[in-house]
Amino acid sequence: MAEAEKPVEPGSAENILTKIENKSGKIENLIKQFKPAEALQTALEDSPPQDERCKSANWTVVHKALMAVKDVEGMLLSLDPKYYDILMKYVYRGLSTGDPATCDRCLKIHEKLTEKVGFGCILRSLADTVNTV
Amino acid sequence: MAAVAVHQFAQCITCHAWSPDQSMVAFCPNNNEVHIYKLVQDKWEKVHALQKHDQLVSGIDWSEKSNRIVSVSHDRNSYVWNQEGPEWVPTLVILRLNRAALCVQWSPKENKFAVGSGAKTVCICYYEGDNNWWVSKVIRKKHNSSVTSVAWHPNNILLATTSTDGKCRVFSTFIKGVDARESKTGTSSDPKFGEQIVQLDLSSSWAFGVNWSPSGSTLAYVGHNSMIYFVDDVGPSPLAQNVAFRYLPLRDVLFVSEKLVIGVGFDCNPMVFAADKSGLWSFIRFLGERKESSSGPKSGSQFSEAFGKFYGQSRQGLSNDTVEPSKIQGAAHDNCINCIELLKQKGIKTKRFSTSGMDGKVVIWDLENQQDLMEYL
Repeated sequence: MAEAEKPVEPGSAENILTKIENKSGKIENLIKQFKPAEALQTALEDSPPQDERCKSANWTVVHKALMAVKDVEGMLLSLDPKYYDILMKYVYRGLSTGDPATCDRCLKIHEKLTEKVGFGCILRSLADTVNTV
Repeated sequence: MAAVAVHQFAQCITCHAWSPDQSMVAFCPNNNEVHIYKLVQDKWEKVHALQKHDQLVSGIDWSEKSNRIVSVSHDRNSYVWNQEGPEWVPTLVILRLNRAALCVQWSPKENKFAVGSGAKTVCICYYEGDNNWWVSKVIRKKHNSSVTSVAWHPNNILLATTSTDGKCRVFSTFIKGVDARESKTGTSSDPKFGEQIVQLDLSSSWAFGVNWSPSGSTLAYVGHNSMIYFVDDVGPSPLAQNVAFRYLPLRDVLFVSEKLVIGVGFDCNPMVFAADKSGLWSFIRFLGERKESSSGPKSGSQFSEAFGKFYGQSRQGLSNDTVEPSKIQGAAHDNCINCIELLKQKGIKTKRFSTSGMDGKVVIWDLENQQDLMEYL
């Protein structure tokens, strides 16, 4: 399957939504193949988009991947470090949903991620008001 | 131990500055006064209290050669203090601000000083001998929010500023009559006063302390997002390095040498950043003691208790003892460090600096015995 290209700013919202749909398909496949860590990394690529609808669509995709992750430590080990800050932002978005299963999973990830990357990561996810998820 | 002296002066210190011979220190104890303490036979004694401001004194600088103190305050005023005999005599400098003054620094030649304000402006003040007063010229454009910190380039003309709009800017503060005109070269013209040389938009959050390297070739500033930015070739096409670190954000930054930077902030412990041979900057270590306390459920550390509650939802019991608490017993400072000053000594390569913080302490640090940092000094 062709790799989604990095969206060139300004990419139209439709364009980005299509790419997210493509991502979604890829991620479902990876989850079925028991590769949740890869699924999450794919979900985090090209995040976060600028448009509100795209943000929601992207969140749905990331959420799917997050819920599929069982081995949090393993996932963090294989995740490319450049995605740590974005992952932390999505963890906070997950915690804000209030849904018990999501929050449970997000708390687990928050704990391990903070252990790995420190408070700086939390600060970066809070202080960045431009690239919100 | 890098911290050679710890002095508790007040409950909380806003900012501090040293006298030229470092026998006296001036600071604001979080009120509207400037206190000057002198070291008399191994004891610090309060020798002066400069009382002219009506509100918090947010910035103090003490010029090395001319022995003048400049203080700025939230009351939108600035005073230049001259020592006449045993007294310090204030001269009001009218800044024409309608918001608080936040920071101040004497220029390298001490003929000007810069004031950053909450009015989104920077005031450059210079002395007019004819009228025997200080005149202020204001840079009104460009800033979108409060100017938190100012730093002079060694050439006495370029000024770097950081602001809560997240950007770091470099301006020219060339003033006719005050600054000597550069030798006339064919095409280059003297930069106009207030002209923005470069705007660095690297941080998406508030930017705080900024500092130039001793030669003026590198600029460093910090963001509230736990990042520090190093910029070379400050000009039309700057080379920037964004260094993210895992600790709490920094508030102020200082170049000890071309390759060594000390950052201070909410971790209450100075952080050492250094550039390797290829010019790549990275975090080396903390300067002060930092015991990794293994906290069990009964430990008093605030952070592990808080994290315990936070994670207790997802699993049973125990407080999390793997996250390092930031407040460690034995560290020199107990609270946020918000000011760092170089302790200059004529002829000797500087290795000493002082920090002051919200715990009311002024701590003097010496890098003399830090073997692993010698290569960077």
